[in-house]
Amino acid sequence: MADTAKLSHTSAMILQAIGVGYIYGYTVMEVTGLPSGTVYPAMRRLERDQLIRSQWERQSIADAADRPARKYYKLTRSGESALEAARNRYPLLAKLVATEELEDA
Amino acid sequence: MKSQRLEFAILRAASLLAPAEQRAEWLAEWRSEVWYVPPSGAARFCLGAFRDALWLRRNNPGPMSVLTRLDSPIECLAFLATLAAAGMFLARLPMSRDPMLPSALSDGMALGSMAIALLLHLLAPAATIRAMADYHPLPWACRLRRWIFVVLKTAFALLIVSCGLFILSFAVGPVACQGFVPASIVALRWVVIDQRQRCPVCLCLLTNPVRIGRASEMFLDWYGTESMCSRGHGLLHAPEIPTSCYDRQEWLHLDGSWSSLFSGAAGMRR
Repeated sequence: MADTAKLSHTSAMILQAIGVGYIYGYTVMEVTGLPSGTVYPAMRRLERDQLIRSQWERQSIADAADRPARKYYKLTRSGESALEAARNRYPLLAKLVATEELEDA
Repeated sequence: MKSQRLEFAILRAASLLAPAEQRAEWLAEWRSEVWYVPPSGAARFCLGAFRDALWLRRNNPGPMSVLTRLDSPIECLAFLATLAAAGMFLARLPMSRDPMLPSALSDGMALGSMAIALLLHLLAPAATIRAMADYHPLPWACRLRRWIFVVLKTAFALLIVSCGLFILSFAVGPVACQGFVPASIVALRWVVIDQRQRCPVCLCLLTNPVRIGRASEMFLDWYGTESMCSRGHGLLHAPEIPTSCYDRQEWLHLDGSWSSLFSGAAGMRR
């Protein structure tokens, strides 16, 4: 078995989005243009494969901002290496979901 | 604060598809996310929850249902026999006799209906059949025991279905008979699916399912789930997607030299 997972386009886009800082499900949807019925199951699949991990933000942070607490996602170590392999495989990936967009948002 | 009744109703409906033990957290995540979605697209956003809940349901390795907890074949048959006995007892109560055979139905029609029902019982397996595992040669005693178990399980399952519909006909009338074929198909499918999850030697349910491989690498290798018999009789490889190389489950028999790996298995091996 190869050391790094080979990802589908969709998974690679989601991984790239999370990798550049779109850590919430809805923001991943917005930046990738994928529907919710695709993004959330894909993120669960990535989490099952231990490429990303999820965590609830602290309630105190959400309370301070007067909004519900959100679940956010982060890349794991194997997720980072899988993303690196995906970027080599799909060179346009970095342009599709770029860091600049996050800075603009 | 915007009103999100419709969105929450959709999410609550979708949450019924999610596994019970993960439902609360799943619902909390979707509810928190929908808070950030503009009202114009919120309902559409929530519709994706159904697909997500279904995915979670399909890939949930959590606690098993009551029926799949019936680990040993004796427990399974005892449970089915109890259900069938209870069904037959209730079906014999006077209040549930009349509606199934209304006066308008002549004896000839009743006989004809029973003949059709019997025929459908025989044909139903054709619609439900799924390939069993490739078990390789097993001792004839094991094969005989497996087939006796299947036949008894099928008989009890169909008896439960028949009694259930008979009792149901008291409430809804003879129209309950229409559910006979679909209910039989569901029962037979359960029999086959349950059988596929059992060790062919001891007939106990297989345990410790482990996912093997990756979908993206199925060209060179298989991927799917590997379960094992807790008594050390063997391993069952179940491919996620049937391919030309791995089109059905494959049973890997383990001989006695493996028994030291299974705690307490040496004394339990049959």
